[in-house]
Amino acid sequence: MQRKITPGLMPPGSPGTYRKKSCTTMEIQQQQEQQQQIEELEENKQQQQRRRRRQQQQQVDESKMAADDNKPPWPNTKDDYDLREVIGIGATAVVHSALCVPRHEKCAIKRINLEKWNTSMDELLKEIQAMSLCHHENVVTYYTSFVVKEELWLVLKLLGGGSLLDIIKHRMKASDCKHGVFDEAVIATILREVLKGLEYFHNNGQIHRDIKAGNILLGEDGVVQIADFGVSAWLSTGGDLSRQKSRHTFVGTPCWMAPEVMEQVSGYDFKADIWSFGITAIEMVTGTAPYHKYPPMKVLMLTLQNDPPSLETGAEEKDQYKSYGKGIKKMITDCLQKDPTKRPTASELLKHPFFRKAKDKKYLQSVLLQGGPSIEERVAKDEPLVRRRSRSRQPGTSGRLHRTQSGDWVWSSDEEDDKHPEADKISISSCESTDKPTQPQPQPPQPTNTESSSQQPPKIQQQPQQPPPQQQQQPPPSQPPQPVLIQPSSTPYSPSPQVLQPQQQQQQPQPQLPQGAYPMATYPQLVQQPVMMPLQQQQQLQQQQLQQQQQLQQQQQQLQHGYPLQAVGIVPQQVGNLVPVAGLPPEMMMTIPPTTTTTNTTTTLPQQQQQPPQPHYTPTPPVAPMVGVGVGVGGETFITTQPLHLDSSEPINLVLRVRNQKRELNDIRFEFLVGRDTSEGVASELVAAGLVDGRDLVVIAANLDKITQHPDLGQNLTFRLNSEMEGTDTPDDKALVGFAQLTIAD
Amino acid sequence: MSLFRKSPKSPQEVSKALKDALTALERSDKKAEKKDFMEPNTSKQGRRHRVGVTHNAQEDTSKSLTQIKTMLYGTTDSEPQDIVLAQLAHEFYNTNMLLLLILNLHRIDFEGKKDVAQIFNNILRRQIGIRSPTVEYICTKPEILFTLMKGYEHQDIALHCGTMLRECARYEALTRIILNSDDFYNFFKYVEVSTFDIASDAFSTFKELLTKHKILCAEFLEQNYDRVFSQYEHLLNSDNYVTRRQSLKLLGELLLDRHNFSVMKRYISNPDNLKLMMIMLKEKSRNIQFEAFHVFKVFVANPDKPRPILEILLRNQDKLVEFLTRFHTDRSEDEQFNDEKAYLIKQIKELKPLPPDQ
Repeated sequence: MQRKITPGLMPPGSPGTYRKKSCTTMEIQQQQEQQQQIEELEENKQQQQRRRRRQQQQQVDESKMAADDNKPPWPNTKDDYDLREVIGIGATAVVHSALCVPRHEKCAIKRINLEKWNTSMDELLKEIQAMSLCHHENVVTYYTSFVVKEELWLVLKLLGGGSLLDIIKHRMKASDCKHGVFDEAVIATILREVLKGLEYFHNNGQIHRDIKAGNILLGEDGVVQIADFGVSAWLSTGGDLSRQKSRHTFVGTPCWMAPEVMEQVSGYDFKADIWSFGITAIEMVTGTAPYHKYPPMKVLMLTLQNDPPSLETGAEEKDQYKSYGKGIKKMITDCLQKDPTKRPTASELLKHPFFRKAKDKKYLQSVLLQGGPSIEERVAKDEPLVRRRSRSRQPGTSGRLHRTQSGDWVWSSDEEDDKHPEADKISISSCESTDKPTQPQPQPPQPTNTESSSQQPPKIQQQPQQPPPQQQQQPPPSQPPQPVLIQPSSTPYSPSPQVLQPQQQQQQPQPQLPQGAYPMATYPQLVQQPVMMPLQQQQQLQQQQLQQQQQLQQQQQQLQHGYPLQAVGIVPQQVGNLVPVAGLPPEMMMTIPPTTTTTNTTTTLPQQQQQPPQPHYTPTPPVAPMVGVGVGVGGETFITTQPLHLDSSEPINLVLRVRNQKRELNDIRFEFLVGRDTSEGVASELVAAGLVDGRDLVVIAANLDKITQHPDLGQNLTFRLNSEMEGTDTPDDKALVGFAQLTIAD
Repeated sequence: MSLFRKSPKSPQEVSKALKDALTALERSDKKAEKKDFMEPNTSKQGRRHRVGVTHNAQEDTSKSLTQIKTMLYGTTDSEPQDIVLAQLAHEFYNTNMLLLLILNLHRIDFEGKKDVAQIFNNILRRQIGIRSPTVEYICTKPEILFTLMKGYEHQDIALHCGTMLRECARYEALTRIILNSDDFYNFFKYVEVSTFDIASDAFSTFKELLTKHKILCAEFLEQNYDRVFSQYEHLLNSDNYVTRRQSLKLLGELLLDRHNFSVMKRYISNPDNLKLMMIMLKEKSRNIQFEAFHVFKVFVANPDKPRPILEILLRNQDKLVEFLTRFHTDRSEDEQFNDEKAYLIKQIKELKPLPPDQ
């Protein structure tokens, strides 16, 4: 039995029931070509042309819109398209109506400027793949895509009727829509088509995430299609482990956005689209989304706090929409339930009694499109502005709302003019990378995004710098926690005020560790000393213990050294704000005895020139305190007793504190002899030894250079790394996530 | 006819039904091909008959695929059962079903192709304890991998094959087979095809293969350095903006991966590579300039720059300093970049003239 399913007459129901009627004769031709193609694999150029031709042929074959075999395939060359008027414009794309010359067929071409596409092109690829893996009458038809210089051209079906939003606006202008824009039959007809598209989408494992009148397009023949895959996402349909079962990204347009999407707590699924669908139904009656008058933040609040909106939510008078029956109201209520599990699926909704009112395409054509403006009219009308965004809209035009690290909501939009200016106007950031907080770009050479770089601390740390934890000096774990800062009283101690930038008003004591604390058995050696503490635990404990430690530090400093804090300009109450090195509680660094550490490795650098082993340093007082000029608490400048001298006879002991691949903090100790060593040489060795990420080679070299060549900058440099921590951790300079710290340890 | 056939229930039955349907599909297809070749002017009726046969096979294939998908993924009401999964997987191994499906993928209808990819990936992920039996199975049938790669040559199945290949690339054993095959080098063609979605899908697979299993990849790049990088150079010189930009970016990632240290050393010792990066630094596209910077910097930061590299840098010393000083000055927010840039400028400024050649 032959199943005759034409795209327009698809039975609603179970997954995978949509089978395209394929054209066998075409396939035969293709296979022949395919066969030839394989044989001619070696003839590179010819083969490519052939492949392209075949690809296009298949495209046509696959595309139900191109049923007539006589037409040549959709070409992948710019010259085959005659660009006509601009029908849409956005931040990164322009949409033209166009004529495909070889096919004598109109189409829409979305020209995306890839130079403005600063993030990776993966997002874009996803959008196009999502489109090309959809074949359904109610989902926008994609023909082909190709690169023209720095632009990507997407060839799409041209839908001459414009977007549903255009038609709503036109109606509201042309007639009195106070008591509703469309009658129930029109609404039912359009929404049933939308539902069919959504059902297909959801069965495919996709969520659209931006259903609204602006994204529903009408063809001149009355066909209804869902457009703009810019924010659509793939979802798992079952036991598929490679896809998340629910999404955690925050995208969409606030007025149409489901509460669970806004909350971002538990993730969301297909049902988010059903909410947006319900809002769209309201939009078709009232002409606008319920909270369109409010700014996005307010919309969030209203959606989350109030009962779900209804037809009456935005009404000015009682009974304004009384002509609408129970059916549509019930349907809207069903969709707009705050608990997503209670909302019906698209398939279930299709069986809703309200949709019995639905009619066919012809009806839409006669009722809606005849009265509506033609493309030419609409374009002509708006030509001076060239601001049409009617049919094919740009990816991301709906903008994204996301929570920043501090918990604030930020709305990012690259849309130039929106139909609900009040609701969408807050355009805080147009920075591409801030749009996707949950999708960190793993590519290290990316420019820092403004968000994160604005959070970067000044290079010179204001925190007290502590020498890194010492294996040799660490008390056994049974002892009560003791900040590393504290020296055994037998150790000679030399106060070494930190060098601070002039504007800084704090001064910290810098207890010196004896050089003997850093045994360097042979010169070419890096001691990798882990500070064992899982990151999360560290961060949790950090907060609780911070204050306590700092008090402890203070007390112990005073007790053990009889060294009043005030003497170096510390105002005691300021101490509460100070954070120990990298925000790590000293106890944390010491709770694990060094012998138990697994990553406590001694790496001998391969590339290092052979040098006679240097003797151990004996615990003698530091030779040259690395101190320049500092500013006391009262703003007075003082100069330390011994001027800084970094001559080539004295190697600088440096500690690079950085997380390894397992995210454990490591102290990498090494000497740097000015004159003998070069920043790039040491950095290169660090990479060669596998101690730091190659992507950080140059930035580490740059900072090594800074700290060794300009010691007046301070003994402590914290800098951002190029290598992002894999995962979703946000960079944090205190916990050294995405940051590293160089310390002069003399 | 098929209307009255009882739909098979057990994994064996479904698997058999699928195999029969695929065979029928293949046969009717091949017959048609031959017939068309022998008698190009077949009567309309003959054609129609064939179309009918194909459609029956098409129907049966789709039905079986849907049933298998339900077994693997369950439905909203029922979770998939382990025993059924095990039986099905066994049936698939015994009948070589995975290969059969891929070989006939272009004959399967549009939705069915998506089902095949989902089924393939699900069976591939199957685990018994720490073993992945399907991975072991594919290791003994590497033609599955080669057929998948060839899929990039056919538009209608390219993206589906890409999905399956990337799933395979998650396993080191399979990646090893792919990397060590000659077919891998076809990716250098696939990433440049004119249809954007296919080219970029091929690129993401290519990237996955070269970056996923660090040690394997490093080993591969070291052993096949010349072959890989000579072809890679073509990508960097491609006429296609996207190819150029993506391949340059991947190059940076590959070179700066700590596992590829020796590859990086080798790459930055070659003056031709330096020249290419300097040309790309001056590209019109800012994105390409920026990516090129991140490769260029490694040449300059090389502690033991070979003489030819030093010569180029010295010859262009003033120009480079001037160029870099004015390079992307609007990136004031990007601290690493500015640090790195300042460092490069300093390094280049401080280059000492070379002693005359001996």
